[in-house]
Amino acid sequence: MLLLGPGAMFLLLFFFSPLLFVLAESLRGAQGQVTLARYGEVLSDAQFRIVFVRTLKMALIVTPIAVIVAYPSAYLMTKVSAGKKSILMSLVILPLMTSPVARTYAWIVILGKYGIVNQTMGALGLFKEPARMMYTEGAIIVGLLQLFLPIMVLTLVSAMENVQEEVEEAALSLGSGRIGCFFRVIVPLSFDGLIMGVTLVFTGCITAYVTPAILGGAKVLTLATLMRQEALVLMNWEAATVIAVIMIATTLLLYNGLRLFKPRNLV
Amino acid sequence: MKNSKILIAIMALMFVFLIGPFVVIIISSFSNDAVMRFPPRGFSLQWYEKVLNIQMFQTTFWMSLKTGLAATFTALLLGVPVAYTNVRFRYPGKNVLELFFSSPAIVPGLVIGFSLLRFFIYVTQVPILLGLYLGHTAILFPYTVRVVSASLRNFDPGIEEAAVSLGSTPLHAFFAVVLPNIRSGLVAAFILAFITSFNNVPVSLFLTGPGVATLPIQMLIYMEYYFDPTISALSSILIVLTVIIVQAAEKLLGISKYM
Repeated sequence: MLLLGPGAMFLLLFFFSPLLFVLAESLRGAQGQVTLARYGEVLSDAQFRIVFVRTLKMALIVTPIAVIVAYPSAYLMTKVSAGKKSILMSLVILPLMTSPVARTYAWIVILGKYGIVNQTMGALGLFKEPARMMYTEGAIIVGLLQLFLPIMVLTLVSAMENVQEEVEEAALSLGSGRIGCFFRVIVPLSFDGLIMGVTLVFTGCITAYVTPAILGGAKVLTLATLMRQEALVLMNWEAATVIAVIMIATTLLLYNGLRLFKPRNLV
Repeated sequence: MKNSKILIAIMALMFVFLIGPFVVIIISSFSNDAVMRFPPRGFSLQWYEKVLNIQMFQTTFWMSLKTGLAATFTALLLGVPVAYTNVRFRYPGKNVLELFFSSPAIVPGLVIGFSLLRFFIYVTQVPILLGLYLGHTAILFPYTVRVVSASLRNFDPGIEEAAVSLGSTPLHAFFAVVLPNIRSGLVAAFILAFITSFNNVPVSLFLTGPGVATLPIQMLIYMEYYFDPTISALSSILIVLTVIIVQAAEKLLGISKYM
């Protein structure tokens, strides 16, 4: 028990107290009374609503695409030889370990005014004028997808590693087709990993800062960039505090909400 | 098999999408153009020269390095005992405590940095640099607990028990038997935690200010004002360093199994 002391102390002092302080601040009225007035102000603000809905929408687009791309890839990665798997795994880890600023910057080179897409389309005569792709929701979605795909792949690979080869072979020898086997055996048996991956990617999309900051700028704000703008540009600490609490609430809600999907009856 | 061809195609496309941007950035860093144009029209090394000549990049690189090392050491010092307790002992309320110790991984980094700024800098007047160090330590803490726990689970407790039954004190057994055996887990935790800190933006965002910035924050600031390929060159350097570290760590430690 003694061993947990220093760590617990650290978290209580430097992690939980600041969070509770911010929560208390968000509920404190002008005369020191407890009030929800600040939440009312932020939630009724038209800009906040647009940004909140946009952030959720982008997470709702990125997450399913990540699942669709990552599932087959992760499945293949559990089937190849150990040597090949090691190479593929390091290709998945590499982007995860690289500075998100560097990774996101690449999309400026690709989507920018004189970037690859515009140059190629121009050369082919498909675009008469360079198309504006930077500072759009689409650019942020592409950036988020590149940011979070590796997390989905890693989570699914470790979930599918636990599916025994024999179970799959049994299904196949009992007359199940490859596709049927995938959806009725592999997916249910790796469902916990799927839920974990979805949770990580979805909450990641909602709280990501670097991607929307670089690819959306001040034109296409998300919750994270709006919070930064309120705090550091507009010096509206009250609004930033409320947005911070809303971000935690959304994250916790998702973490606990998605846990309900654990399919106990299947395993 | 037709099905597996489709699978291979999906996977190949995924890797083009994941790795392609890195290739693009490296090519663009050798451009001789002052605007971001791809493909570049000529070759030059001027942007690398510029990176090395910008004082702020050097200052913030050292800041990131120092913050990362200090926070990683602290997180390991706090995390190893927690991992050891959670793997070796059963006690009431263990699930709740495990959740407690992993909470910095669940709360958004932006909020962690923001709350530290509000609480410490404004209320207790703590210097911003200390806030940066504390914020980084908090997010690395669950990381070290998880990685070290994973490696402790693969270590046979019987060996430690044997040492104790042969007359070693539990404390001595821990340092002489347990720690050397989970060495690769400790190194993996160190590498993962340090890289996490070095690359972090959300926590640092609110805990940096005039005179105190980390390298990724400085890169974001630079990008707001300049559109030349300097950041391409700097990013390329970071990418190459990451490739070397990831390759070495995967070969020597199999780091992917700790992630």
